Amino acid sequence: MLNEVASFLNSAVSGCGATAHTPEVGHGHVLVESAHLHACAKALNESDEFDMNVLQVVSGVDYPERIEVNYMLASFTKNTEMILKVKLPKTSPTETVEVDSVVDIWKSANFLERETYDMLGVVFKNHPDHRRILCPEDWEGFPLRKDYVVQKEWEGMEINPAHKVNSGDHFFFKDVIAKMGGDEKKVTYSWKSDAEA
Amino acid sequence: MIEIDGKEIGDLSSFNTEKIKSDLLTLNMGPQHPATHGVLRVEIKTDSEIIAEATPYLGYLHRCFEKHVENVDYRGVIPFVDRMDYLGAMGMEWGYSLTIEKMLGTEVPRRAEYIRVLVAELQRIAGHLLFFGTYAIDLGAFSPFLYAFDEREKILRFFEELSGARLLYNYVWIGGVWNDITDDQLRRIKKFIDNFDEELKVFHSLVGENKIFIERTANVGIVSEEMAYQYGATGPVLRGSGIDWDLRKKRPYGIYEEFDFDVQVGRGEKGTLGDCWDRYDVRVREMHESVKIVRQCLEGIEEGSIMGKVPKVLKVPEGEIYMRTECPRGELGYHLVSDGGKTPYRLKVKSSCFTHVSMLPEMAPGQMVADFVASIGSIDIVLGEVDR
Repeated sequence: MLNEVASFLNSAVSGCGATAHTPEVGHGHVLVESAHLHACAKALNESDEFDMNVLQVVSGVDYPERIEVNYMLASFTKNTEMILKVKLPKTSPTETVEVDSVVDIWKSANFLERETYDMLGVVFKNHPDHRRILCPEDWEGFPLRKDYVVQKEWEGMEINPAHKVNSGDHFFFKDVIAKMGGDEKKVTYSWKSDAEA
Repeated sequence: MIEIDGKEIGDLSSFNTEKIKSDLLTLNMGPQHPATHGVLRVEIKTDSEIIAEATPYLGYLHRCFEKHVENVDYRGVIPFVDRMDYLGAMGMEWGYSLTIEKMLGTEVPRRAEYIRVLVAELQRIAGHLLFFGTYAIDLGAFSPFLYAFDEREKILRFFEELSGARLLYNYVWIGGVWNDITDDQLRRIKKFIDNFDEELKVFHSLVGENKIFIERTANVGIVSEEMAYQYGATGPVLRGSGIDWDLRKKRPYGIYEEFDFDVQVGRGEKGTLGDCWDRYDVRVREMHESVKIVRQCLEGIEEGSIMGKVPKVLKVPEGEIYMRTECPRGELGYHLVSDGGKTPYRLKVKSSCFTHVSMLPEMAPGQMVADFVASIGSIDIVLGEVDR
């Protein structure tokens, strides 16, 4: 099915560069150029053949040089589902990346995109209510980035005091995390590629 | 003309009420409010009793479990997912185990599959009973809560016997289940189920057919078919809008395709299709369907092992997967990205409650405050799952 979606997108949206990826393990996805994401989503939503009428979830994944944003689309009329993926390159760890919002196509995107912004620092252009949702509005950093370090203080409260820093002693794979190149004193660990590259 | 004590006070019809401007009053519902089912804050702007605008503020229970599990091995994640929907923990565990099993290609023994269906359906009954009780409290009726919790307690007692915990079970494991079920327990479940089916009819006649309850819920908080799709609603909220969609039927997982049951959809019996009463009604009828499934489970359960072959050190092959299951409150999806290591690279949870909360700003305008309480109750959210 992914191949049909990719060829449909290539004919419907010129220059979107849709490619289908079907791995041996797990689920495949359709990768499109981030600049054409909105047009692709609209085409999939409006097409009679695919009729992707539900956006189930927006899931961002952080990698060293890019952030991937996955849109889990489903058609409840045709009983199909697929993953639409965009890759957003980033040059520095703290930088936010940008992609078009799809709120005007699926209203469920409103909260889901806000969560993705909150957790991963993906800015959605043309979003009607672009704020943090789970963290406080003045929170610093994006927690689900791999290099995130908890801020020291928030509203006068010390939130990561030394005696409460997670030493990681109780982790089953403390040495594994250390091997991955992470500092096990932090609540987070760095990318695997740092140690192995 | 209005006369008070024989004096005319003027003709009220000459007043132009449109000229009287009233300011919107901003009120906070929550974060600790009995009708918000947890720590949800909804900022409502009201014009006297009528709501003009509602904005939910989430995050009071945010623990960022998605970050924590990146440091925990695959088996260790299960207690974390328990704590999302703490009222439907069996469903959460099953969905997660299924995701990992799909990636590993593990075969789950038949007995374990039966036990999973059994506990998941009992959990569905327990979850819907909690909805039944607390929803009645939201609407001002206290006694249904006591009836519902009496029955729910029996299920929790059974789960406690099975897993050692009342709410956070850590029972469904990758490859099977933790503990075997005895014949005596099965016999007692049979007894409970037979009794419960009759009890539930009484409960429904007490609450669902009650004139006051119908007045409070019919034609209130209508979710149309279009709106349900737009907001990605799932579970009883979607079915309450008259859409025949249940993952257990449409995309069967486990051994659900072997069971005979019906998908219950809203019928708009007391008011408009997709109103609060429909969502309530769908849940009650779903409990009857769950009873049917549990019965078939008890008849069909096979002897054998309860744990499949899973390597001691779990390493999930590189790749990604998106699996979803039908939990009491809607569809639960896990997006797992693995880099071939011993811990998940990324585990994203699709929470049905989260998407249902996003419907509130559209449901609220034009509602009375009391009707808004009825609307929040009818979508049956658990804040542990919303905030994760």
